Amino acid sequence: MIMKKLKVTTAIIAVALSGTMALSDGYGPFPVTLKGYSGDKTNTVSYSGQIARHVLEQSLKKLAGKGNGGGNAADLEAQMLSYFNGSDDDLPIIAPKSKDGFKIKQTSLHQISKGKNISGKFYDGAMPAWPGNMSGKDVAYNMIAMAAKSNKGFDADTGYDWAQLISKYTMGAMAYNQAVDNYLDEKLSAEKKPNNKPYKDGVHYTGKEHSWDEAFGYWGAAAHQHGFNPNKVYEIAKMKNQGVADKNGDGMVDLKSEYVFGPCYYAAAFDRSGTKSTNYTNTMFDAFLDGRKLITAAAGDALSDSERSQLKAYAATIEENWEKVLAEAVFKYAGSVYKDINKMKDLSGDDLNKAYRTYAKHWGELKGFAMAMQSGKSNLGATATKMNELIGFGPVTLNNSYVTGMDSNGNFVMDRKKSWSDYQLHMLKIQQMMVDQFSVKARANDGLNDLQALTDKLDSASSAETD
Amino acid sequence: MDDINIIEFFLSDFINPKKRVFTGYLILSVVLASLWLLFVKRQSLQSTFKKIFDRKILWSGSAKADYKLFLVNRVFTFFISPLLISQVAISTAIYMFLHSVDSFNQNFFASTPTSIIIALFTITLFVVDDFTKYIVHRWMHKIPLLWAIHKVHHSAKTMTPITVYRVHPLEGVLFSLRSVFAQGLVIPSFLFFFGNAVDLYTIVGVNILVFFFHATGSNLRHSHIDIAYWKWLEHILISPSQHQVHHSIAEEHYDKNFGAALAIWDWVFGSLHLSENKGKVFFGLDTYESGKESRIKDLYLEPIYEIAKILKTFCIKLVSRLLNWLSLIRDLFLVQIKKNKS
Repeated sequence: MIMKKLKVTTAIIAVALSGTMALSDGYGPFPVTLKGYSGDKTNTVSYSGQIARHVLEQSLKKLAGKGNGGGNAADLEAQMLSYFNGSDDDLPIIAPKSKDGFKIKQTSLHQISKGKNISGKFYDGAMPAWPGNMSGKDVAYNMIAMAAKSNKGFDADTGYDWAQLISKYTMGAMAYNQAVDNYLDEKLSAEKKPNNKPYKDGVHYTGKEHSWDEAFGYWGAAAHQHGFNPNKVYEIAKMKNQGVADKNGDGMVDLKSEYVFGPCYYAAAFDRSGTKSTNYTNTMFDAFLDGRKLITAAAGDALSDSERSQLKAYAATIEENWEKVLAEAVFKYAGSVYKDINKMKDLSGDDLNKAYRTYAKHWGELKGFAMAMQSGKSNLGATATKMNELIGFGPVTLNNSYVTGMDSNGNFVMDRKKSWSDYQLHMLKIQQMMVDQFSVKARANDGLNDLQALTDKLDSASSAETD
Repeated sequence: MDDINIIEFFLSDFINPKKRVFTGYLILSVVLASLWLLFVKRQSLQSTFKKIFDRKILWSGSAKADYKLFLVNRVFTFFISPLLISQVAISTAIYMFLHSVDSFNQNFFASTPTSIIIALFTITLFVVDDFTKYIVHRWMHKIPLLWAIHKVHHSAKTMTPITVYRVHPLEGVLFSLRSVFAQGLVIPSFLFFFGNAVDLYTIVGVNILVFFFHATGSNLRHSHIDIAYWKWLEHILISPSQHQVHHSIAEEHYDKNFGAALAIWDWVFGSLHLSENKGKVFFGLDTYESGKESRIKDLYLEPIYEIAKILKTFCIKLVSRLLNWLSLIRDLFLVQIKKNKS
C-alpha cells in the first residue's frame, strides 16, 4: 500500500516536473518517460560520453604540437594514442584548461565519463583526400605518428600543421560522422532504438531520447545557449566570458553542459563573421531542441510514422546546416590561404618564414575541414574529387613543390611544382565550389569580395544605354 | 504590386543619377539649352521657351511612340535581364584566368598611390566603356542583321531625351551584354594588378566622368537643340549637334559620328563629321514609309521580319553554294573515273 502511494506521488512529481521542464529554454532537463521505470532519476538528458570525446580531441590537438623534432617521438605518439584510443587510466584534461577568469570544473577525463575514446567512433571509410590510399582511421593514425615526429607539430618541408589537420579532421570524422551518419540516421528508424524501450538494459532513458541526445552532444553546444547571440557562444568557446558560460552560478564552467565545443563553435563563428547573414547556431539548436521535445511528448510510446518523419525533418535541418558550416570553414580557409600567398609574395627571410607558418596553419584548417566534409553521411562524389584535386595532398611550399603522394615506406613524395598564382586560382575555385554546391552565405575571407563590391557599385545596367 | 510600386517600376530611371534621364540632368539640359538659345543663338526668351518645349516635337507621333516604347521595354527588360550572363560571372572568369597566366604578377602595381589607382580606374572604365559603345554602335550600322534592329532607333523623326529608350529589345540585350563585358574586363584586371585599393571617383554615386557627360547635356543629343562645340573640341567630344548629324536623313551624314561621349574613335576610324551650321537637319529614315515610325507593332515586329528575310536569303545562298560545290566534286569524280577507265 505504502509502495503504491509512493509510486503515485512519484508520478505526480514527475508530471509536475515535466510541466516546468517543458518550459525550460535550454536543452534539458527532460523528464523520464520510459514506461515501467521505477528508479529515482528525473532527468533523461545524457551525453557525457560525447563531451569526453570532444575533450579527447582538444587534448590530442594540444599534444600534436609538443614534438621536439624526433627526440620524444615514441613517447609522444604513445601519449597521443592514449587519447585517441582511450585508456583505462584516468587521463588529465590537457585542453580545455582553466585560465584566469575562466575556471573549468573538470580536470580529468573520468570526471566526465569513463572508458571513452575517439578511435571507436571514427569514420573508417575511404579517405582519398589523403595520400596513401588509407582508410579514414588509418589516416588519423598516420597523422598522429607524423605529429609525434615533428617539431612543435609543424613540418616545414611539406607544410603540414599536424595539430590543425588532426583537430579539424576529427571534428568531422568523429563528431559530424557519428551525428549525421549514425544517431540522426539509422538510429531514427522504427526498428532501431525504439522509443518504447530503454536505450539499453538498465538505463532510464528511451532509445530515441538517448540517440537524439548523443547527436546533440557531438554538436558540442552548451545546453543553455538557446537563443544566444553568436558572439556569446563564441565567447564561451574562446573562454572569454565565464559569466555567460556558468549557467548554475557555481563559479565554474561545467564541461558537461556549460561549455561550447568545436562543431558548435564554428557555427557561431560563421554567424558572426563574413556577411553576418546566417543563423546556423540557433537554427541547429532549435532543431535539436524541437526534436527532443517531440520525443519527450511521445511519453514513452514508440514514435508514430508521422512523428518519426517530423523528427527526420529536424535531423535533415541539422545535417544540412552542419554540412554548410563545414563548407563555410573550407570557404574561409581557402580565402585565408589565398591572402597568405599574397603576403608571402612580398616577403623574404624571417618574415617569410613566419608568414609561411601562418599559411601552413590555415592550410591545415582548410584541408582538415575538407576532409571533415568527406566523412559525413552523403558521398560528395564528383565534388569531393574536384575539391581534393584543387586543394591537393599538401600546400604549395616555399620552393613551389608540394606533396603528390606517399611511397611504399610511408614517406611523402613531392615530385611536382606549382606556382603560387596557380594555387591561388585553385583557392578561388574552391570558394566558388562552396558557393555553387553548398550555397554558403557567410563567406568569410571572400577572395572575390572586392570584385563583387565593385560590380555592385558600378551597376552595369546603368551603362547599357545606347545611342 | 501596389500603385506606388508600379509607378516606381516604370519611372525609377528619373530618380536614378546613373541614368541619363535623371531629373537633375534633364533640368540641367533645359538650362544649357536656354543659355545656348538665348546667348549664342540670340533668340528671345519667348522663342527660346517655345523651341525647348515645342509641342509639335514633344507630342509628335514619333515622340509618342518613344514614350510607349519606354514603358513597354521596361517590361521586356524586367523579364530578359535575369536571363543574361551576369557581370560577376564574367569578372570571376577573367579574374581566375589572370591567375593562371604565370607571367602576370598579381598586385604588380599595388604600390601605386591610391589616388592614382582610383583615377586610372575611373578613366579606364570610362574609356573602355565608351570605346565598346563606339564599336558596337558601328556594327549596328554596318552589319545588315544588326541594322535591321537599330533602324527602330533611327526611325525617330523628332527627338526628345526619351528617344534614348527608342530601341528594339534585342538592341537592349546587345548593349547590356556590351556593358557587362566591358566592365567585366576592366574590374578584374584592375583588381588583379592594382590590388584592393581599386575604387571609383564618384559624384552622387556615379562615375565622375559619366556624371559630367550627363550633367553637360547628354540629353540634348536627342533633341532639336543643336549645340555645337569648337571644332577642336568636336574632335575629342561628340557635341549634341554632331549626334544629331548622326541621326540626319541626308546622305552625306550616313554612318558618321558613332561615338557616345568621345569623338576620338570617330576621328581615328574615319567616321567623324563635325557639326555644320547649314540650318535644319531632318531626322529619320528615308526608306521607312511615312507613319511607320509611330506604329508600335511595326517597330517591334519589322526587325524580326527583316532578320528572318536576311537569314532566309543567307540560307538560300549557302545551300546553293553547297550544291555548286557538291556538283563540282561530283564532276571531278566523274572525270577521274573516266580517266581511270581509259
